[in-house]
Amino acid sequence: MRAVSLWRKQPLSLACRSRTFVSDSTSKIQIFDRQRKRAQRDRAAWSTPLHDPLLHSVSQNLLDRLQDCKKTFPTALCLGGSLQPITRSLSAPPANGGVEKLIVMDASYDMVQACRNAYRASPNNAVQTEFLVADEEFLPIKESSVDLVVSCLGLHWTNDLPGAMIQSRLALKPDGLFLAAILGGETLKELRIACTLAQMEREGGISPRISPLAQVRDAGNLLTRAGFTLPGVDVDEYIVKYESALELIEHLRAMGETNALSQMNNILKRDTALATAAIYDSMFSSEDGTVPATFQVIYMTGWREHPSQQKAKRRGSATISFNDIQKQFGSQS
Amino acid sequence: MVKGSKEILQKAAKTLSDILVCPLSKQPLRYCEESNSLISDAIGVAFPIKNGVPCLVPRDGKILEEEDASKHDSDTNLSAVNEESLGRSA
Repeated sequence: MRAVSLWRKQPLSLACRSRTFVSDSTSKIQIFDRQRKRAQRDRAAWSTPLHDPLLHSVSQNLLDRLQDCKKTFPTALCLGGSLQPITRSLSAPPANGGVEKLIVMDASYDMVQACRNAYRASPNNAVQTEFLVADEEFLPIKESSVDLVVSCLGLHWTNDLPGAMIQSRLALKPDGLFLAAILGGETLKELRIACTLAQMEREGGISPRISPLAQVRDAGNLLTRAGFTLPGVDVDEYIVKYESALELIEHLRAMGETNALSQMNNILKRDTALATAAIYDSMFSSEDGTVPATFQVIYMTGWREHPSQQKAKRRGSATISFNDIQKQFGSQS
Repeated sequence: MVKGSKEILQKAAKTLSDILVCPLSKQPLRYCEESNSLISDAIGVAFPIKNGVPCLVPRDGKILEEEDASKHDSDTNLSAVNEESLGRSA
């Protein structure tokens, strides 16, 4: 919904793209081209370095939350996104959260295959791991069958984020935990500005180059709307320094995080690309000659409902007046 | 060696199929040894198992021919898959 007004201004691209949607009679807005994203992730499977520092720190931060839980999670499902760091830390012997069975899922076959090869090559395979190619929007998991759903930097590419979260909730057993990290709206703000300025300057108009992302305030609503109890949201900002904007694009490509909007302009003029890099450099470069890029990560935690969880009591059910409490304890302070 | 590992793979796919359901109808899947695929009887679609990895993305599914009657199903996603695969085969 967020970018609709922007796209309505481009009837031309809508017209030539609408052919793709002839078979799709739903009124749902297709923001992202999932098929393109799959292809990009196939490519990323070959180019992602084994230890990407950004993906590594985000996944560590996400999985650290498991250590705060007393509960163990025998069956875990890992949705798409940065699979390898998650699989690595969940299947290593001092496994977080007591995971015994791990299901690794991604929409890209090559990504799953790369993950499987890494799993086979690692010496300590204490955790039984299964692999699966599936789409987060059409989750093929039986109701109430897993204890934990982890999604690390994958859900921001879904067209129907609430729908995907509802499906994750249904897949969870009662008192199961949903952990997700998605990129937030502040992500790549420098690139967004540089792209807009360069396009205005060279082409006299703009087209969306960077996808619409969820804002922090949306994340809490999303969790509540998907029906999770005890929702928790927190935000972290990572600033990554690159030599130039071109290295930034290479890194995005290696992570499979490049543009996959279904209404994107497929042509990028060399002129505009170079102008973007130049504007990026002149506006944001720091003293040591590097350019920073912001990655805002929103961490979301939610539980599937269970009678053992704490709940607010019914209104008017209190038997003791606050005045009495004040009298009892107020004198001590 | 190759045969042995293949059996392990198939076994893995079978144990996984306890948890898996059809991504569109959420109905149980049936494992077909002959075609090495997971079949959703509710909508008549076969999902392939590539190299031991079940592929359950709706686009990867193949409509089973004898199940043409399922086309009247009002599920729009299903009809999208239907038309796509028909277009590909035509």
